[in-house]
Amino acid sequence: MSPGPLWRLAPWSRAPRLALSAPAAVLAGVVTVAVLACALASAPLFLSSARSAALQAQLAPQCAEAGWQRTAVTVRLPAGTAPGTVAAAVDAQRSTWERLGRDSRRALLITSSVGSGGNAQAGVLVRDPAGVPLTQPATLLWQAGVTRHVQVVDGSTAAGVWLPASYAEAAGAAVGDRVTVAGVPVAVAGVYTDLFDTDAGPYWCDHRSLYLNPGSANTPPPALLLASDEQTARVLARGAGFVTVAESVPAAAADLSAGEARELVDQQRAAAAAVRLPDGVGLSWSGWNDRLDDAVARAGTIEAGLRGPVVAVAVAGGLLALALVAAAGSFWADRRAAEVRLLAARGVGPGPLAGKAALELALPALLGAGAGGAAARLLVAGLGPADDLDPAAVRLAGAAGVGALAAGLLTAALVAGLRVRAGAERGTAGARPRRAAAAPWELALLLAAAGCWLLLRTRDPVVVDAGVAQVNGLLVAFPLLAVAGAAVLAARLATRALPALRRWAAGRRPAGYLAVHRLAAAPLAAGTLLVAVALPVAVLGYTATLTAGSQATLEAKVGVQVGAGRALVSIRQVVPDAGTDAVGTVLDRYDGSVAAPAGAPGARTDVQVLAVDTGTFAGTAFWDDGFADAPLGDLVSALAGPATDGRLPVVATGLPPGPADLRLGSRPVPAEVVATARVLPGRRTVDPVVLVAADRLPEVPAGAGADRQSELWTDGPAGPAVEALTAAGGRLSRTVEPADVLTTADFLGVTWTFGYLSALAVLVGVVAAGGLLLHVEGRTRLGVVGHVMARRMGLSRGTHLRSLVAELVGVAAAGTALGALLAAAAVAVVYRRLDVDLLRAPTPLLEVPWAAAAATAGAALLVAGLAALYARAAADRAHPAAVLREDA
Amino acid sequence: MTGAGVVADSLVKTYARGARPVTALAGVDLAVAGGEVVALVGPSGSGKSTLLALLCGWESPDSGVLSYTGPLAGRRPETLGWSELALVPQALGLVADLPLADNVLLPARLRGDAAAAGPRAGDLMAGVGIGHLAGRYPHETSLGEQQRAAVARALLLHPAVLLADEPTAHQDRGHADRLLDALVAAARAGTAVLLATHDEQALDRADRVLAMRDGRLGPRTSP
Repeated sequence: MSPGPLWRLAPWSRAPRLALSAPAAVLAGVVTVAVLACALASAPLFLSSARSAALQAQLAPQCAEAGWQRTAVTVRLPAGTAPGTVAAAVDAQRSTWERLGRDSRRALLITSSVGSGGNAQAGVLVRDPAGVPLTQPATLLWQAGVTRHVQVVDGSTAAGVWLPASYAEAAGAAVGDRVTVAGVPVAVAGVYTDLFDTDAGPYWCDHRSLYLNPGSANTPPPALLLASDEQTARVLARGAGFVTVAESVPAAAADLSAGEARELVDQQRAAAAAVRLPDGVGLSWSGWNDRLDDAVARAGTIEAGLRGPVVAVAVAGGLLALALVAAAGSFWADRRAAEVRLLAARGVGPGPLAGKAALELALPALLGAGAGGAAARLLVAGLGPADDLDPAAVRLAGAAGVGALAAGLLTAALVAGLRVRAGAERGTAGARPRRAAAAPWELALLLAAAGCWLLLRTRDPVVVDAGVAQVNGLLVAFPLLAVAGAAVLAARLATRALPALRRWAAGRRPAGYLAVHRLAAAPLAAGTLLVAVALPVAVLGYTATLTAGSQATLEAKVGVQVGAGRALVSIRQVVPDAGTDAVGTVLDRYDGSVAAPAGAPGARTDVQVLAVDTGTFAGTAFWDDGFADAPLGDLVSALAGPATDGRLPVVATGLPPGPADLRLGSRPVPAEVVATARVLPGRRTVDPVVLVAADRLPEVPAGAGADRQSELWTDGPAGPAVEALTAAGGRLSRTVEPADVLTTADFLGVTWTFGYLSALAVLVGVVAAGGLLLHVEGRTRLGVVGHVMARRMGLSRGTHLRSLVAELVGVAAAGTALGALLAAAAVAVVYRRLDVDLLRAPTPLLEVPWAAAAATAGAALLVAGLAALYARAAADRAHPAAVLREDA
Repeated sequence: MTGAGVVADSLVKTYARGARPVTALAGVDLAVAGGEVVALVGPSGSGKSTLLALLCGWESPDSGVLSYTGPLAGRRPETLGWSELALVPQALGLVADLPLADNVLLPARLRGDAAAAGPRAGDLMAGVGIGHLAGRYPHETSLGEQQRAAVARALLLHPAVLLADEPTAHQDRGHADRLLDALVAAARAGTAVLLATHDEQALDRADRVLAMRDGRLGPRTSP
């Protein structure tokens, strides 16, 4: 039979249709190629998803305007500039945006003016109705509807300026009066409550710097005047000689993909470059929304950090999936054994038979590749960091799907051909481990893992590049190699114990006896099954624990830094009352020092002293049980204990127990450290923290230099807290929020690396489940005659099922236990080194995700149980007479 | 258990091969009594295996009556245990995951008396020449050795009726003799033995030989 006409013969020309005679083989082809395509296509999709999510995560905690396109120019308007020229300067950017087909929103801001010497000075000079200059300068803002977003003390519909209440009071001005702003007389059209006395809301988010002064609690910013209309603002701009014009194009940052954001950035740069100012005005400054620029660039950095581990993990997953595809090729050879044997007997070689396998599996593989690509898309959209994917990534995923189709088809056909060449085997149920399996190749994995670990000891597990934390690839490679090597080694040792187990089972009931004998008869299959369960459980346990630990550590770092959900800092002392107690706790922060321990450099060591309200502090302050050996409540209670020789009881971190020569500024406060903690909330510097009861702290004079600062810590929303702070005598200078402490997006790469590794573990689990089903199916087919006879001899269906459950669930349980053990060992070795921010306390916390662990174990046992049910159902389907006749 | 036998009266069995019906048994009458060895001969496709499948209850006749006699009277064949009706199918049906000794002992183990049956299993295996293969898995032995294990397994519980399909097909003359010795000994102990065979050696040892041709059973007319 020559190869030439061979392809025109029915076994080849009708191959696609002939495949339908073995639907199980078709299904195996579809599913396994789908798993392969999913593994390969998910990598570019995941990276794109991560890039988009990194972008969105950076923009989310910022004001909405951070994600908008914006151009801005500050123009200098020489004295005597014509109104028409001012209008042309103001309109210059809008016309640019209009040419790009975008509708922009305008804001006019006057933050500086021409001083008496012709120089630029901060703010504009305001004179009261009597013409007396006010000591505090002002800034002026106009944007559409600005006066509708303030709390009105008194207002009108007239054109003019709106003054903040404190400024109107200082100026002695009321609605209807005229004040002089930048030399231009203008009517007072309204008075509004100072924004720092309110929870101003999202409208003012991007203008907080105009009324808050985050840099200092002592220097108030210029008063914020609001123009009632654009024309008033333009007139005042002519008087000031400067105006900043900003044109913004809103965008929904929450849905931005990285590619879309890049387009927005490019467009706003083009718009900024295209702005042409009229003659007669000077350009003082121009720019665009660089926050969007930064976010896009940082998202790219995060993605770059992910690429190494993700590609490595995807390749590992692809190789595993390829092994499953190979099993499907072998399965095809089994299911089509009759025809294959016949063709082989007629002299058809492995090559043409592999070609036949490829032709029969081509359509299933095509379907599988499509399904796998779609599954990857759905999985990344549903479970990935974000569902906003770039078209380029989707195209790349499509190419990966095509690659999976080609690789899968080639592998399946190759294995089918090799299987044919090896002869039609009656089965592997009793096969002894082959020479390749007998070699201790897992030692190579363990050696490689040890090498990774040694390298890891000399390198940082987490690398920070441009402020973005990236997981060292060794941290991914080490557990994969160690867990795989250890699992195989454990499985090898376990299979060595099978003969002893078989002897033990000789006296057991039939179910246990049969289960053990099935395992002992196929030690390679039993060992493979054990590894197939242990591997995903171990990798999942490792990644889930490190992810949960990293997350808990990050949250703890933020919590320790802020002190609670948020901290409101006041420039005036806050006296706790029922209002503040209802929203949180009030404390005073002092700069202090203690005598340095003997031998330490310097005479004194700086400390941060927190004078806390013992009644409310423990209920609001952030706390983790790992911070101290006692609960926070007990530590705070110790502050109320008796004084020791006149020394005030304090709780400290970083100080030894016993007497402490404490000073607040220059004011001595003899103290006794009655309890210590590894970490205390509110630690914002590397200096030790000392807690003291506020009501027992002696008066600290203003001149002592202790730089007292009152804070209201709250876990609730900002609005009620600001109101409570103001009502208690405070005045908000700034708010310390979690986003101010850590930019969460900078650490997303760590979480996502482990998340993707978890996905690999799930893929391994799917591969294991698929392999288990193929194994069970193949074994059932080979053992069906024996089963029929055993039934005849009295094997009940119940006993058969119990034996299958004992075998499969037993191995799954052993695999789960082994996986958990390996995960625990890997975590114990690594977690202390996984500190994403070495500068901030606390050190890494261990957080075991018990629910995820239980779900993983449950899933493993459930799959094994379902496989047992499937095996029994498959055996029950056999018709004894037909089977015996067919086999004969 | 002695004195049991099987009686078939006008058994008819038809299969559909595509659209065409094929009559495998066209009115078979048969009686095998306890203590005798009956050999069934006939060309391939004559209906021997179908008859055995009906006798052990894996298939049902289209018409006719099949009944067991003696202590098994009134019992349907599919309800009979291994000590009542034992089989040696042509496919042998050894359990691949069990060594030969465990395969032979399996019927007793499933009844819960493996320990008691152990010595007899050893004797049977030695008797058919596979005593030294006790720890081997089926795939580690020859087809002939597997066949002897299947016969030993069938004989383990002293069955009332034993149906064997080509039990000496893979044996050399010496081992065939030893197998037939064991089967004849079982018959002499009261077992009703029905063999489907082409083996002249087996025919010589049978008490009666029946010929099957075109789905009908009759006395053998030529060697």
